[in-house]
Amino acid sequence: MTAVRVIASEIKGFHWFIKFMMLLVGIGVVASLLRFVYGLGATTNMNDTYPWGLWISFDVVTAVPLAAGAFTLGAIVHCFGIKKLEPLVRPAIVTGFLGYSLVSIGLLLDLGQPHRGWHVFRYWNVHSPMFEVSMCVAAYTTVLFLEFLSPVCERFGLHLPLRLLRWIEMPLVVAAAAISTLHQSTLGTFFLIAVDKLHNLWYNPLLPLLFWVSAICTGMCIIIIEASACHKWMGQPNEGVLLRTLAKILPWTLGAYIAIRLYSLFVLSDGPFFDNPLLTLSFFLELVVGFILPFIMFTQKSVRDNDRRRVIAACLVVFGLVLNRFNVSMFGMMDPNQIYYPSLIESLVTIGIIAGHILFFVLIARYFPIFEHHPETVDYSLPDSFQKHDGGDKGTKVTEAGRTVKAS
Amino acid sequence: MTNHWIDIQHSDVIMCIGSNPAENHPISFKYVEKAMDDGAKLISVDPRYTRTSSKSDTYAQLRPGTDIAFIGGMINYALQKDQIHKEYVVNYTNAAFLVNEKFDFNEGLFSGYDSDSFRYDKESWTYQIDKDGLPMRDDSLEHPRSVYQLMKKHYSRYTPEKVCEITGTAIQDYMEVVRTFTSTAKAGKVATIMYAMGTTQHTHGTQNVRSYAMLQLLLGNIGLAGGGINALRGESNVQGSTDYAILYHILPGYLKVPTYDNKTLKAYNEKWTPKTNDKQSANWWSNTPKYMTSLLKAYWGDAATAKNDFCYDYLPKRSGNYSFIKLMERLQNGGFEGMVFMGTNPIVGGPDAGSIAKGMDKLKWLVAADLWETESSVFWKRPGVDPKTIDTEVFLLPAASSVEKEGSISNSGRWAQWRYKAVNPPGHAESDAFIIDQWVKNLKKLYAKDGVFPGPITDLDWNYGTGHEPSIDMVARECNGQFTRDTVVKGKSFKKGQQVPSFAYLQDDGSTTSGNWLYCNSYTEKGNMMMRRGQDDPTGMGFYHNWAWCWPVNRRVLYNRASVDLDGKPWNPKKPVISWNKLTRKWEGDVPDGGWVPMNEDGTKSPFIMIPEGYGRLFAAGLADGPLPEHYEPMESPVANLMTRQQSNPAVATPGKINNSGKYPYIGTTYRVSEHWQAGAMTRNLPWLVELVPDMFVEISEEMAEWKGLKNGDMVTITSERGAIEARALVTARIKPLRVSGKMVEQVGLPWHFGFNGLATGGSANTLTTAVGDANTTIPEYKAFLCNIEKGGLKA
Amino acid sequence: MSNVDTSKNNAFLIDMTKCTGCRGCQVACKQWNQLEAEETEFFSGEGYQNPPAMSEYTFTRIKFRDYQKNGQNEFAFYKEMCMHCNEPACASVCPVGAFQKTEEGPVIYKADRCIGCRFCMIACPFGVPKYEWSKGLPLVKKCTGCHSRIKEGLEPACATACPTAISYGPRDEMIKLAEQRLARYPDRYINKVYGKEEAGGTTVIYLTSLPFDELGFKAVTLRPLPGYTWQALRLVPGIFLSVGGGLSAFSWITHRRERLKREQQALQNEQDSAEPKEEKE
Ligand SMILES: Nc1nc2c(c(=O)[nH]1)N[C@H]1C(S)=C(S)[C@@H](COP(=O)(O)OP(=O)(O)OC[C@H]3O[C@@H](n4cnc5c(=O)[nH]c(N)nc54)[C@H](O)[C@@H]3O)O[C@H]1N2
Ligand SMILES: Nc1nc2c(c(=O)[nH]1)N[C@H]1C(S)=C(S)[C@@H](COP(=O)(O)OP(=O)(O)OC[C@H]3O[C@@H](n4cnc5c(=O)[nH]c(N)nc54)[C@H](O)[C@@H]3O)O[C@H]1N2
Ligand code: SF4
Ligand code: SF4
Ligand code: SF4
Ligand code: SF4
Ligand code: SF4
Ligand SMILES: [Mo]
Repeated sequence: MTAVRVIASEIKGFHWFIKFMMLLVGIGVVASLLRFVYGLGATTNMNDTYPWGLWISFDVVTAVPLAAGAFTLGAIVHCFGIKKLEPLVRPAIVTGFLGYSLVSIGLLLDLGQPHRGWHVFRYWNVHSPMFEVSMCVAAYTTVLFLEFLSPVCERFGLHLPLRLLRWIEMPLVVAAAAISTLHQSTLGTFFLIAVDKLHNLWYNPLLPLLFWVSAICTGMCIIIIEASACHKWMGQPNEGVLLRTLAKILPWTLGAYIAIRLYSLFVLSDGPFFDNPLLTLSFFLELVVGFILPFIMFTQKSVRDNDRRRVIAACLVVFGLVLNRFNVSMFGMMDPNQIYYPSLIESLVTIGIIAGHILFFVLIARYFPIFEHHPETVDYSLPDSFQKHDGGDKGTKVTEAGRTVKAS
Repeated sequence: MTNHWIDIQHSDVIMCIGSNPAENHPISFKYVEKAMDDGAKLISVDPRYTRTSSKSDTYAQLRPGTDIAFIGGMINYALQKDQIHKEYVVNYTNAAFLVNEKFDFNEGLFSGYDSDSFRYDKESWTYQIDKDGLPMRDDSLEHPRSVYQLMKKHYSRYTPEKVCEITGTAIQDYMEVVRTFTSTAKAGKVATIMYAMGTTQHTHGTQNVRSYAMLQLLLGNIGLAGGGINALRGESNVQGSTDYAILYHILPGYLKVPTYDNKTLKAYNEKWTPKTNDKQSANWWSNTPKYMTSLLKAYWGDAATAKNDFCYDYLPKRSGNYSFIKLMERLQNGGFEGMVFMGTNPIVGGPDAGSIAKGMDKLKWLVAADLWETESSVFWKRPGVDPKTIDTEVFLLPAASSVEKEGSISNSGRWAQWRYKAVNPPGHAESDAFIIDQWVKNLKKLYAKDGVFPGPITDLDWNYGTGHEPSIDMVARECNGQFTRDTVVKGKSFKKGQQVPSFAYLQDDGSTTSGNWLYCNSYTEKGNMMMRRGQDDPTGMGFYHNWAWCWPVNRRVLYNRASVDLDGKPWNPKKPVISWNKLTRKWEGDVPDGGWVPMNEDGTKSPFIMIPEGYGRLFAAGLADGPLPEHYEPMESPVANLMTRQQSNPAVATPGKINNSGKYPYIGTTYRVSEHWQAGAMTRNLPWLVELVPDMFVEISEEMAEWKGLKNGDMVTITSERGAIEARALVTARIKPLRVSGKMVEQVGLPWHFGFNGLATGGSANTLTTAVGDANTTIPEYKAFLCNIEKGGLKA
Repeated sequence: MSNVDTSKNNAFLIDMTKCTGCRGCQVACKQWNQLEAEETEFFSGEGYQNPPAMSEYTFTRIKFRDYQKNGQNEFAFYKEMCMHCNEPACASVCPVGAFQKTEEGPVIYKADRCIGCRFCMIACPFGVPKYEWSKGLPLVKKCTGCHSRIKEGLEPACATACPTAISYGPRDEMIKLAEQRLARYPDRYINKVYGKEEAGGTTVIYLTSLPFDELGFKAVTLRPLPGYTWQALRLVPGIFLSVGGGLSAFSWITHRRERLKREQQALQNEQDSAEPKEEKE
């Protein structure tokens, strides 16, 4: 009883925004229950012409690259040794972990037989991109979970597992990057089978590569946005200096993306391309506004160094990616005689999932040390090196920059 | 069918006229397409572009009810261009016969017409007879009174232009049909005609059929493989039921029902046994007394003796017309106390069905034996009627379906095939045989107790075993016939109780029984022939003589002795039906139409053995409405007869409820779709079929839709002098307005499968049709009537 | 790609010039598979077409085309069903291998495996697999090729019911038959055996007299579809190893460099702290 009262009073103390998010999540949960009671046909606008709707397009195909920050940053920091970006890693991991967990939930809602989800591990079909993605998502969610365990253990002062986690951190990071490369690109492979269905503007054999590169770009942009948002709304320090570094990498990845995209379009695809005005518009919005414009912006020092402009550019990339994923998985697959738009319940579920993501992030940030972890002081090369330092407990720590952060 | 289903594959030209086999006889299409694979041309002549038309090489649209004009023009062409099979025509038809000088044709009327009674005195419709009593003939066909010359004159009026003006057919389509079809006048080429209800359901339906037969005779196509005229029979065993006397005017085996003035068996035989002086004519019907006596012996067994005229007195004698339309008129006049519907649904299937339903309100009782609750058995629940006002007591006897009982089914090709019981009937359902058996047994008891004139019932030889179900095997044995005593026929001796080997052994002295002389040979001492399943086909012609059994005497192609020349050599040696083997002096191939030697030898008989004169009849005196088919308009028609002043068939009295005033401007025609069966009880209750055709609809042309402002699927109301129904408009290019005598005439097509009861319901087309029948058969004119169409549903 | 021997595959040869649109096949299929009837209204398309599409209740359907061409009526019928591809896209994308190509020809569905992800529906170039949208825990539904009948030596229910248009037998024989017909009746047919090469070859093949697109046939690639994804998927192990290995090597190098740097620095520091001493000394 007391626990309930504690939780209740705790909730009472939340910001209205958090409460609103909780409401949205609640609605989403109810909507998902309706899906099981009344079936997919009655509750969604999916049908035999549109077997995949909003849930696959957003909750899976889009959400996965949006959660790509974790592996990108992990690799940048740990493998390429750009250590100064380390403070961004933990929030990215939390975002990734939440993202993937929710992807899994979204996928389960979408499955006709969610209770048989485990069949994927029982009946292997290595020819199936879906099999590959499922395996990867499962593996990667586990990796992220393990990575996420660190702040949890720190929070509860569990030293032994922490040491273990530290010890496997590097392999985890490498695994994360490798697995992500696979499934981020395999999401693109999904649509390689939709030959004759996916519009020529998007169908090309390099879809997997394009999906992977754009996921990397987006992963970094999400980090920029997230860090800026945390600074603005959650009282976190301005990581501007770090983000500037990220912003310096972006023109390269974006540039690569645009180059491959144009190559694939003009060299590898067959027309007609511009037979449908709406798709043409969508295509230009995606490519020009979503990729070329931010590319140009990021090449400018004035954008990279300016917090606001940098976030705008990052947002454009996210916009481009979202539009791209929708173009590939939904708009570009539209039947000329029948349009699809999500039903209320589908939308409520997806909104609930997005709200859940924000809500859980805020709550985790509230109760777990994800921002104050600046482990440059930790020597990773030695498994037991953790002992040498006084970290792990909640409390104050000294950052490289010498700033002091209070755990919330 | 003169031929049979499998035989269609041998045709060079197949004309589907007044039939839609792709939809209504789907299996037949297997053989149509087989023929087409071998180069045959398919012609479809239909007011509507049907699924059959879609497979055809040539499609010709014609106005409902104008087949005689259409065929008349073809006959004209054949005669004018000499596109006939001369040798066949001279030797096997009555073309060379000379016709009575008094015979005449004038302004649409043949000689002998009496306008008060709507009847012809047929005295002048005869041949000129020589001193030997034989018809006179002129083999040169030059004599002006020869059938040939009379025909030529008669049909010379049917020029292509005139024909197309009447039928509305595009002249180039028409000429293509004419040329293609008459090309089979050559000895090595054969055409067949597949016809059904589009042909027969007219006030001149029988003459439609006649016109087809004449055309085929002229082209020498009857008796040959891939030829003949083939009536595609309807209900699965309707051939069998007709063979077994479903109609009021015939007894089993097409023996005539005695009329009130045939007071004795002798009088009956005298009246109905055709005679000829021609030694060369087999005149098969001269056996009538044998068949009749054997039938009476089958009915009344030991009670039938030579002394009591074999109980001939027990046989009801008819004094009028008891055809369906007449019975329904009587019903409406309160002429019946009760009725039995055994597998029929007349308030959906009968003409002017609304009136039939009203008539039923007057019944005291109704017994319906059916698989389903039909509209007719719940007539008291029909829309617009208060059940409380109807006092009829209704008994619904659940009947077993065809797969729930055993017995024979005769198909259109006259093949009687045994079917076995597959499953038990559900619930309390019983076979029709059981129902009848119980009926008779109980009637016998009642009549024995205090019946008035009980003899016909109590003396009935009714003994089909002691089981719950009457023994169908015993019924089949009886139909074939048995010897009633030890006897010697044609030098062969038979024991009492033995099966008669074939109708050639039936006697008129009471020594044989036969429930149906046509089926005598179907169940011999060797067993039930209908059960045979031999798949050998030694001739390669698809006769399958060891598969089941077909009447008569397992002959697969009728009139097959016309398929050979005078020497017995097949006209079409590539596809012989029979051929004369000079060495063995025997016919080879199919069972010949009598084993007589070829025409060039002595002791021969003419090939058309069922006709007293032995020749195929181009000029036929037997029909009520004339010896030569002549075009008349349907009873309801939007145009005046362009041929003569005689608007409609003179031998049909104009009934009430006919409206030619122009109030109903469109021609209505009714038809079937593959997906439904008849009055619909059997299909409108099956979800899988309802799914395919769920609603009553009416096919209308795009032109009409445009000026009526109708879209595909709109609800419309169709009205006629008889009533109104609603339906969904199916707008299609498959039905088109026709240009008839200079004006455009719209036609609409209505499936007649719908009714108010069952899973899928809808307006019954027969609410609109007229209760007027053909001059000979009284089949209703379902295929042509006048109606109007308005946008919007029925305003209740 | 699959290890099934398809050389003995059976195939349907559907000759649309012989199809009368009687829809016996449609009903026979429902009967054999005990599929519910759909609730329809009037007609859902041209002619007498019904139901509106193949669905969880309808594995095969006759499409009607009712139109005029050069002033001539065309009333055409086309049987839609699963094409039972030689290299089925549905089977290749299914994460749990619920779809399987059989040696007899049919591509069968193991309902007890299916997780209901509907990837097969996306993948099938002919739009064949349908979903039980009406159910809370839906499965996929499609023509079974009457595998259960074939194994017992029967022909598929639809082929058995068809009076005219469907021939069923070994695929190579059916193709031979089709080509014989094309050669024998060049005027009757469009000179093409649809399904001989489409999607890498199917075991439902068509002949027609009307252009395939007019009948509503989908234009499909001639390449087997599984190849499209496999060309990417086959790289998976390689990518995994190279990315993993590359990054490991990279981080090993960076870490080593760092450690070296650190050690050197430590050394330096030591030296630094020692040197001045020395210097001071
Ligand atoms: N699926 C199915 N099959 C059936 C039946 C069924 O109900 N459903 N019923 C069975 C029965 S009992 C019968 S009798 C047969 C009937 O078989 P059909 O006679 O083939 O049946 P209908 O469709 O009534 O008529 C055939 C065609 O005649 C055309 N027609 C109408 N008027 C004329 C005309 O004046 N001249 C010509 N030349 N054509 C005309 C019609 O447009 C129609 O297409 O079908 C049998 N088969
Ligand atoms: N407008 C219009 N009307 C027409 C026609 C037309 O073309 N146009 N065609 C006409 C023709 S050709 C015909 S044949 C008639 C048919 O008219 P009906 O014979 O009245 O119609 P059906 O629907 O065939 O009726 C047969 C009934 O028998 C039942 N039944 C089936 N099997 C058995 C059985 O074994 N035992 C018993 N006791 N019952 C059984 C069925 O359930 C069904 O209700 O309709 C005619 N009516
Ligand atoms: S429904 Fe029966 S009788 Fe009619 S064509 Fe088909 S198989 Fe023959
Ligand atoms: S047609 Fe579609 S469902 Fe059928 S085997 Fe081919 S890919 Fe699979
Ligand atoms: S829906 Fe079922 S059969 Fe289709 S791909 Fe997914 S798991 Fe396989
Ligand atoms: S093969 Fe079997 S399941 Fe497939 S359409 Fe034919 S009957 Fe239906
Ligand atoms: S059963 Fe045969 S003829 Fe009839 S619709 Fe089907 S494919 Fe065509
Ligand atoms: Mo009939």
